[in-house]
Amino acid sequence: MLLAVLVANSEGNILVERFNGVPAEERLHWRSFLVKLGADNLKGVKNEELLVASHKSVYIVYTVLGDVSIFVVGKDEYDELALSEAIFVITSAVKDVCGKVPTERLFLDKYGKICLCLDEIVWKGLLENTDKDRIKRLVRLKPPTEF
Amino acid sequence: MADSSGKTLMDLITSDPSSTIPSSAAPTTASSTAPPPQTTSSSVGAPVPMVVDKKTKKGTLMQIQSDTISAAKAALNPVRANIMPQKQKQKKRPVSYAQLARSIHELAASSDQKSSQKQLIHHVFPKLAVYNSVDPSLAPSLLMLDQQCEDRTVLRYVYYYLARILSDTGSQGLSPGGGIPTPNWDALADIDAVGGVTRADVVPRIVDRLTSEALNADVEFHPRRLQALKALTYAPSSSSEILSKVYEIVFGILDKVADPEKRKKGIFGAKGGDKESIIRSNLQYAALSALRRLPLDPGNPAFLHRAVQGVSFADSVAVRHSLEILSELATSDPYAVAMALGKAVQPGGALHDVLHLHDVLARVALARLCHTISRARSLDDRPDIRSQFGSVLYQLLLDPSERVCFEAILCVLGKLDNAERTEERAAGWYRLTREILKLPEAPSVKETKSESKDAPASKNSKDKSSKTRRPQPLIKLVMRRLESSFRSFSRPVLHAAARVVHEMGKSRAAAFAVGLQDIDEGVHINSFSESSDSYDQDQDETSEGLRRVSSVANGTSGKDTIAGLLASLMEVVRTTVACECVYVRAMVIKALIWMQSPNESFGELESIIGSELSDPSWPATLLNDILLTLHARFKATPGMAVTLLEIARIFATKVPGKIDADVLQLLWKTCLVGAGPDGKHTALEAVTIVLDLPPPQPGSMYEPTSIDTVSASDPKSALALQRLVQAAVWFLGENANYAASEYAWESATPPGTALMMLDADKMVAAASSRNPTLAGALTRLQRCAFSGSWEVRIIAAQALTTMAIRSGEPYRLQIYEFLHTLEKGGLQSQLADMHVSNGEDQGASGTGLGSLISPMLKVLDEMYGAQDELIKEMRNHDNAKKEWTDEELKKLYETHERLLDLVSLFCYVPRAKYLPLGPTSAKLIDIYRTRHNISATAGLSDPAVATGISDLLYETAKPTPAEPDTLDDDLVNAWAANLGDDGLLGNNAPAMSRVNEFLFGAGTDAPDVEDENTTSRPSMSYDDLWAKSLLETTEMEEDARSSGSSSPDSIGSVETSISSHFGGMNYPSLFSSKPSTYGSSLSAERAGGSRFSIPSFGGNSHDGFNSPIREEPPPYSSPSHQRYESFVNPLAGPGSQSFGSQDDEQFSSKNPQYGTALYDFTAGGDDELNLTAGEEVEIEDEVDGWFYVKKKRPGRDGKMAGLVPVLYVSQS
Repeated sequence: MLLAVLVANSEGNILVERFNGVPAEERLHWRSFLVKLGADNLKGVKNEELLVASHKSVYIVYTVLGDVSIFVVGKDEYDELALSEAIFVITSAVKDVCGKVPTERLFLDKYGKICLCLDEIVWKGLLENTDKDRIKRLVRLKPPTEF
Repeated sequence: MADSSGKTLMDLITSDPSSTIPSSAAPTTASSTAPPPQTTSSSVGAPVPMVVDKKTKKGTLMQIQSDTISAAKAALNPVRANIMPQKQKQKKRPVSYAQLARSIHELAASSDQKSSQKQLIHHVFPKLAVYNSVDPSLAPSLLMLDQQCEDRTVLRYVYYYLARILSDTGSQGLSPGGGIPTPNWDALADIDAVGGVTRADVVPRIVDRLTSEALNADVEFHPRRLQALKALTYAPSSSSEILSKVYEIVFGILDKVADPEKRKKGIFGAKGGDKESIIRSNLQYAALSALRRLPLDPGNPAFLHRAVQGVSFADSVAVRHSLEILSELATSDPYAVAMALGKAVQPGGALHDVLHLHDVLARVALARLCHTISRARSLDDRPDIRSQFGSVLYQLLLDPSERVCFEAILCVLGKLDNAERTEERAAGWYRLTREILKLPEAPSVKETKSESKDAPASKNSKDKSSKTRRPQPLIKLVMRRLESSFRSFSRPVLHAAARVVHEMGKSRAAAFAVGLQDIDEGVHINSFSESSDSYDQDQDETSEGLRRVSSVANGTSGKDTIAGLLASLMEVVRTTVACECVYVRAMVIKALIWMQSPNESFGELESIIGSELSDPSWPATLLNDILLTLHARFKATPGMAVTLLEIARIFATKVPGKIDADVLQLLWKTCLVGAGPDGKHTALEAVTIVLDLPPPQPGSMYEPTSIDTVSASDPKSALALQRLVQAAVWFLGENANYAASEYAWESATPPGTALMMLDADKMVAAASSRNPTLAGALTRLQRCAFSGSWEVRIIAAQALTTMAIRSGEPYRLQIYEFLHTLEKGGLQSQLADMHVSNGEDQGASGTGLGSLISPMLKVLDEMYGAQDELIKEMRNHDNAKKEWTDEELKKLYETHERLLDLVSLFCYVPRAKYLPLGPTSAKLIDIYRTRHNISATAGLSDPAVATGISDLLYETAKPTPAEPDTLDDDLVNAWAANLGDDGLLGNNAPAMSRVNEFLFGAGTDAPDVEDENTTSRPSMSYDDLWAKSLLETTEMEEDARSSGSSSPDSIGSVETSISSHFGGMNYPSLFSSKPSTYGSSLSAERAGGSRFSIPSFGGNSHDGFNSPIREEPPPYSSPSHQRYESFVNPLAGPGSQSFGSQDDEQFSSKNPQYGTALYDFTAGGDDELNLTAGEEVEIEDEVDGWFYVKKKRPGRDGKMAGLVPVLYVSQS
């Protein structure tokens, strides 16, 4: 299960979050845990360099992309490597939508589009589409495979 | 345009409160976010809403509601003219939720116009996405858009929002969407009786609409059809009506498109292909994706049938989903799945195609599927099928993706889910080390290959991997792969590789535990290999996949290679400790702990851990995780108890402030029990070594670190160390008798001997010669009773009493004498050299323990008195040669019972065996009991019974044989393991559940942020991190209480739990009040605790380490509550009073206190703050001797706020 996808800005304010199968009362803890994790470790990290953490049997992979940091949390089959895969899809979708490495402003400008992309990437806690072009098509309400 | 939208959105989400928020923004955003409870903590934009009282809240609520509802009404009424001009106005202003809602309604009405579409796409919809839920009253407009609008992007958004309305099932309207919190729409609608739109109203309409779209077979419509189906899966699965509808649609689609007859040859040919087949493939994809999200019905053959068909679909995502469904189905019915897959697994079949599919997760699912089937017992009579699946699994070991390869390794190792079965694990290790991978064919996709594949020497593959084609031992392959992964720069890869090694260690330990080294062919573990062997012999020519080559397995050379391979792997693993990421390092250490074999020296491991722990960047949760690993390691190999205790000791001395004393204690206890008769002494020594540590020296951090020096340079960890020492002392008292196998009720000493040995020196000499373990423990405790801090002394005195009660002579007498002198305080001058002054006032009685000890002494006094009495009586009877009358026996028995009751108040003793009147009374008591039919175990008057603990204690005590003098080992073990529960049941439970949770791999609970100053905030908060945290500290505690129950414990837990271990708060009632009140005062606590206790624990600890505590995890809220209470205690208790008991109220109130730093202070942890003498600070809060202060401007480290010791700040 991909438990959470979370995007925060450099100050630690959360811009996007998608929780799946996380009880409401635990989300608060996850949020602050992730934000703190980012604040502690993401300084000076290169764009898209993947960092890893774990808590019990839950894995966390996170990275920084321009002004935003992206966190994905998963368990079971979504281990650190699967999450790396997922975060790669997410970062490339974000870059695609924004046209470049996003600044916070750019990210917010494209907020709606990014939400739609995310919707195609993670569907009910499972990674769905990983192919960039396919995501692009689906977001434009085109069939996943074009004829 | 985009700019202006960005501007407003920025205003909504930006973190910079100083940015120009138009004056209207604050009220609108506040109004839209006010209602849900958590919003108060997010305090969007300006801190204005913080003070919003209930009335204004309600006002804003009504405001939004009337806004949205009137808008909804407007939309529902199509006659109403649309109000375009308003929209123009909005462009300039930041938008509130109500405005957004209104514009959707308006624009929906005019959706045929280009400008409205543009408006929707660029302004309204993106902004709406910011909110975490969607108002159901928007549904009518969205549906209208859905019907009328042609613009694809608008429609895509419409599906997105419809799905969100459908999925909005969270309590308080919290969908998983995140974003700015929105009110509970349904509740809002309820307030307004007239026209509120609730989800219940709109969901059927949405479902109907989406259903009809999903059924629309029009070719041009099919992209929308896919989205409609997708949106439908978000409908709550609790509604069986909707669910069956969705099933119907999905299977309906699959009926049409899934059957393979018209399938094109080129399975992966998504590139070419005609329109029809592509549409088919798209629909296949959509249907299977939807099916994957719906609850599986294993009983329904349609699922299996469709999933099997799905494996050969053209769409790789569809294939992935079908494989995932299959692997899930296979866990419940592997036979059916294997049969259904039939040919697919054969060479050239669909499953082999998946090997080359460009979808990592599909291959992962394939690995799981193959593993499940190849291990299935129900397929025992079809070894051919199993080996086919097994061979696919082994081929996945060569997968280029680490994710797949590691998954395959884990599968081979026998780790699939969290259920740990030793046999399965051991078999996994066996497989890994003994099997030979013989590759069937080149991983080329060519169809033609399938014909020639039977020839084992098919060398026509073009890729470079053809070199590795010859058969090779699995282990070699795996080791090589792992080693190369360890050279990776990617942290996730390192982490994963370390995790694989960790799992490998587990399997290896299991193999050792089962004794697999020279495995017997008849054992069932081997059956698979055996059968595959015979299968191989039958079809040696054609068989592909593995062949077990026993020649490699046996013989020293094979073993040497494995050892050699392991050694070189471990070398690489060890170097990975240099990784800068603590999580990777933690995983490496765990792997090292698991790979550590019991008979190797662990010096290297010890030094690695020792030096690692000196790194202050380790978070507490991670360290506790490693402690739990030690626990798990111990369960797997009890023989390593002493080694593990040594490692645990490093933790105790190096990072006392960060580890959870509960878990440590549990580890001590289980290790002690598991160490066996020979190791008990060593185990106890390893624990008590904590007591022998010198008191922490200030600045010891800067000295060259050795594992024996205590790193407790700051007051906080010194305090934690102190508590650890208390825990150790308590542990010693509780368990010394077990470790020493010395019990009063099976003492070999004749009763009279003790009385003759009144000379103290002689007594000590005799004692230590007879039982060095116990004597050693006694000496330590005696020293603690003198030289520790007052908390330690109290516990030491208690521990001594426990030992006195439980031990036979001469120990009891020895302790008695010691306690006596202690009470009198006269011993101080005698033992002055032993006494290390700690600067505390020793009190009038010299040790300050007089009042505490006297009730303990009284019990012992009474026991001795009664014993004397008994001996006298017996002599009288003997001299007079007369029988005991019933009256006399009754009196004796009553004394016996009374003393038992008294004794039971201090510590647990087995009532059936314990003889407070000495061994000689046994006969007489027995006579009385048989005469009056009193069952020895039915001690209903036992306070322990009254308080509810006895349930579990007697459970283990009951089945003991009746003769009291032969106490069997099992009982002693069980008892000793259980006995800890007597005192710390309630407190230990969380640790226990944590351990169990860990052992069973559970744990999704949210992590607690170690730093209590970091707020957990809802998203979109505008606030400065610190400012907010200061405002909210009290709320945070509430949060911790309500939800933090099973979250990993932070530093706080050390403070929280331990004090109550020793009944810190119970001393007054324990010693000053009547026994009956003592019992009842504890009853609540114990009754609460007993729910989580594990009755079978002690019993199991010897015979089945793999099947411990199958207890359900405790109810979610209870332990937290309990913890919370114990969290309160230390604050209220004497601990905080010793700091002069600052008035807490004054700090938690609003007006801030100011102060000046008196000295420089160096932060010892993340939550602490550096201070420079003379610096001015604002004091926000005081907790347990620490001020939470805020600086005027950030210090050199950039920190603004944090904890500093109270004494470092003078209040102005």
